[in-house]
Amino acid sequence: MNALETQPEIISLESLAEKLGIAEPWLEKGGVHWLIPGALSVRKLAAVMNQVQARFVTITAFELPGTEGFRLEYHWDLDGRLLGFPFLLSGNSIESIYDLCEAVDWIEREIHEGFAVDFLGREYEPLLLRQGDRPGVNLREEKK
Amino acid sequence: MSYKIPMGPYHPALEEPYKLDMICEGETVCDVKLHIGFNFRGIEHLAESRNYIQVIALMERVCGICSNIHTLTLCQAMEQLTGLTPPPRAQYIRVVVAELERLHSHVLWAGIAAKLMGFKTMFMTCFELREKVMDVLQVISGNRVNYSMNRIGGVNRDIEDPLAILAMIEQLEGEMARKVIPIFTTSTTARLRCAGIGVLTHEKAISCGVVGPNARASGVAQDLRRAAPYAAYSEMEFDVPVQQDGDVRARLLVRALEILESCKILRQALTKLPPGELSTGDDKIVFSTGTATSRVEAPRGEVMYSVSWKENSRNPSRVHVRTPTFANMPAVRWMVMGARLADTPLIQASIDPCYSCTDR
Repeated sequence: MNALETQPEIISLESLAEKLGIAEPWLEKGGVHWLIPGALSVRKLAAVMNQVQARFVTITAFELPGTEGFRLEYHWDLDGRLLGFPFLLSGNSIESIYDLCEAVDWIEREIHEGFAVDFLGREYEPLLLRQGDRPGVNLREEKK
Repeated sequence: MSYKIPMGPYHPALEEPYKLDMICEGETVCDVKLHIGFNFRGIEHLAESRNYIQVIALMERVCGICSNIHTLTLCQAMEQLTGLTPPPRAQYIRVVVAELERLHSHVLWAGIAAKLMGFKTMFMTCFELREKVMDVLQVISGNRVNYSMNRIGGVNRDIEDPLAILAMIEQLEGEMARKVIPIFTTSTTARLRCAGIGVLTHEKAISCGVVGPNARASGVAQDLRRAAPYAAYSEMEFDVPVQQDGDVRARLLVRALEILESCKILRQALTKLPPGELSTGDDKIVFSTGTATSRVEAPRGEVMYSVSWKENSRNPSRVHVRTPTFANMPAVRWMVMGARLADTPLIQASIDPCYSCTDR
């Protein structure tokens, strides 16, 4: 049996923020180390996460009140620390990171289906979780 | 000439809804497309119309096997939003129930894997043992499937006689060590049927974001009980079995060895069960506005809950559930590509998929 005995060198969050080019400090809240991405693109973020060998966990989508759009929270795990990067979408689209991070495929498809958010630059398979062809009817609020 | 073989929408062994469209050449699978969602239930959406008591009962139904894990993860997230910390006894009881659930899940899976290997006697042995694990859970909780153990700020039921439970665990451990583990680790039949098939390489396991025993069988040494301890896991001593081969046998070995590690944790938790209260005793739960996230190492890997609440609201404004099978299942494509058609049911089952969780 090979047991989990030796830990690889742990990357500090400060050096990760530096790699991302973000001067803002990390905020630890609600079980997550948050970093506000500011002008950072989600694709640059994904590329750096690959570089530091962080494991993609999920994206959580929130529909904001009124017509404010969406907040997508991207999560990666780095040596047991859960990292969170909230992206605000004023419209309903954001660049896909599927070509950079294979693990994102199903959650991008699910959010596309549930909230009608478009992940630009990728093709969609038929709907993942249900029959039909109209996305955005499960979780997105119906607008009058 | 290539041809398409659909397998599903019900898995031939697991009898749950999901479909594989396999493109084959002769007996070899060249590519595959996975389809899920046949019983998608919209539980996240339903959760937005449930109060904090109802939402626990609802989330217990996400999965029929690791029902406790879902309420544990949810309660941990809600505890962050309410500022409540469960007392030590509750944290230990959470560990006991979580490890019993892991035993139950792993033994159930071992039985199904044995059946798919053509090892029917082993299937019966595993299911007999699984019944005994469920007996222990019934003694603790009064139920064999949905245990209703977790609440915000603690647990609902005590383990009144830990030594009696310990005796049951020791008997179980003995039977597993005598009957199950040696066969899975040393039997020629198990080795020949499982070695070298359904390989998920270390690189693919990382790029697919695979979790739990499937990741550990491909050399990805991560276990949240060790990497980000919750409940009372920081006080437990245990090993995290890791294998490098990434095949069905490696997945089998990791789970078999984890059964013994679970017994080790159970023995410690039951022996050291601290005295004290079962919960914080707060009758009125007050949520602050915000989002909290919690992760737990379920039998199949990492479960993550993200819960949002607005102050003075009866219901959560959002509950997002990332189940382990949702992360693991896309990797099946890479496991079955190049495999013989006849091996695909076992390969699919080797990830210990839960379609109920996936179609949450």
